[in-house]
Amino acid sequence: MSEPAISDPAPSEHLLQVEGVTKTFGGLHAVFQVSFQINSGEIIGLIGPNGAGKTTLFNVISGYYAPNAGHIRFNGQDISGKPPYKLAAIGIGRTFQVVKPFAGLTVLENVVIASLVRYPKRRQAEEHAWKVLETTGLADRATVQASSLTLAGRKRLEVSKALALEPTLLLLDEVVAGLNPTEADRTIELILSLRRQGITILIVEHIMRVIMNISDRVVVLNFGQKIAEGNPRDVATNPGVIQAYLGEAPQ
Amino acid sequence: MNRKHLLFTLVIFGLLMAVPSVVRDTFFLRVITEAILWIGLAISWDVLAGYTGYLNFGHGAFFGIGAYVTALLINLAHWPFLLALPVGGLAAGVVAAIAGIPTLRLKGAYFAIATWALARAIQQGALVMDITGGPDGMRLPPFLHPHFFYFLMLLTVAIIFGGYWFLFEKAPFGLKVKAIREDEQGAMSLGLNPSWIKLQAFVLSAIPTGILGGIYAYWITYIDPASVLGDLVTDQAVVMAVFGGLGTLIGPTIGAVIIFAFKTCFWAYLSDYQVLYLIILGGVIAVSVVFLPNGLWGTLSEYLRARRIMKNNTSAPRATDKGVRHV
Ligand SMILES: Nc1ncnc2c1ncn2[C@@H]1O[C@H](COP(=O)(O)OP(=O)(O)OP(=O)(O)O)[C@@H](O)[C@H]1O
Ligand SMILES: [Mg+2]
Repeated sequence: MSEPAISDPAPSEHLLQVEGVTKTFGGLHAVFQVSFQINSGEIIGLIGPNGAGKTTLFNVISGYYAPNAGHIRFNGQDISGKPPYKLAAIGIGRTFQVVKPFAGLTVLENVVIASLVRYPKRRQAEEHAWKVLETTGLADRATVQASSLTLAGRKRLEVSKALALEPTLLLLDEVVAGLNPTEADRTIELILSLRRQGITILIVEHIMRVIMNISDRVVVLNFGQKIAEGNPRDVATNPGVIQAYLGEAPQ
Repeated sequence: MNRKHLLFTLVIFGLLMAVPSVVRDTFFLRVITEAILWIGLAISWDVLAGYTGYLNFGHGAFFGIGAYVTALLINLAHWPFLLALPVGGLAAGVVAAIAGIPTLRLKGAYFAIATWALARAIQQGALVMDITGGPDGMRLPPFLHPHFFYFLMLLTVAIIFGGYWFLFEKAPFGLKVKAIREDEQGAMSLGLNPSWIKLQAFVLSAIPTGILGGIYAYWITYIDPASVLGDLVTDQAVVMAVFGGLGTLIGPTIGAVIIFAFKTCFWAYLSDYQVLYLIILGGVIAVSVVFLPNGLWGTLSEYLRARRIMKNNTSAPRATDKGVRHV
């Protein structure tokens, strides 16, 4: 990817800038001309009905897809089309909606692998992985195979791996969905504690209770387009948003 | 593989060092030398197949390249063997690097086909070229010293084994490789560049294979496209590794010893029925894939682990949970 020779005018305080991003599959506009910004330290909720393009947008931001049009800037630097492993190294961590544990390895090994980016020596990586597992509450499962975890455990492992990268920006794709209320509360508590540590978070979630409680702002997608943005209360009463959700799943 | 296994391996190595002083029969020494060679070929195939999940059906090409390059340097450039040998290994590594860039992007099955086709192309190349002697092959200056080759083979394979053990079981590299085997997409989000890591594993599989080819050439003193570039080299390494258990180093070692012992006995007593050997080889792989999907060693160590866990659970419930932390 060619970088513009002239760097951005006055480094903005936006950590992430999504500028007119479009991603198409064949004729389908999975994401269409979406723009928004995230400031350092914010939690932004990304919501929308099934198939709205949330995961696709995550994939563009984290480098899995290059946008067909538009740009992604991270810390002012154009990162559109850079491969995921480079973005992981500069501080973008993500989880997968369809979890991707390294099933044949232990929980600890899973997190050690993620730690290696920051701690190339195995010993330090292992120490760091243990710390991460303590914070995510998986330490007592560290030596079991990742494949033997429950769904809640696997989601927790996704978060642990993303965290082990020591990200500045963390993208969470439905890490609460599918958990029972107790587990959900623990995960919400974890997310809030991450914010206190200064991690900026973009979170996709269908459970409105979660989004409304933890987000500073909410971005709403429908059929790939941004139809609303604002604080959670305003968005929840926005007629366009209600319209989009009607017939889908009245929350 | 843990410390106990390493110790065990070292003991075996020590015993093998003593073999020539006990075994006077050169035929028998030769058989053991070849068995050690096959251990090397099985584990070098395994580091790609077992650890990254890419089945290389052209592994024999690296063996042949090492053999031919070493032979050419000795015959035409009059290099001393010990200088030619590493260059033969390097040549195999270079071919792996060049071939790996396009083929390692492919999904597993296509990679298997591509490597098989590449090996056939290289074999055809050796058949039609003048410099390699075409179908007549090449003769090397005879250096008839069974003990030299025994120790050289043993030392080389021990170094290969130790190097692999360190890289794939101890060093972070092994974890990275396994991450890519388990989930390439997921690994990318954790800062791993799959193409680069797979390419390294491929080259690490190829270089030792080339070196083994070079030793083989100088030892046997005659190579031709059928013997060092044919399918059989790959096929046997594959069967040994799969039968023993992929991704374990020890498994392929055990597999190599058992299959090679079987082959040797078969050759000795039933040499008229070579086709039968191939049929049995095919049968073994089919049966072991169906009944021992983790191979002999994989199945055995799983059984032992399950038994240990059962024992721990009954005698000292959960006592080890914290104890295992910083090992
Ligand atoms: N790799 C792909 N190839 C083709 N179409 C795709 C691909 N990925 C997503 N799509 C399509 O793009 C649209 C957006 O999908 P996406 O997964 O981004 O939605 P989402 O908002 O995450 O939905 P959900 O809430 O169900 O997770 C859908 O119509 C989907 O079928
Ligand atoms: Mg989704």
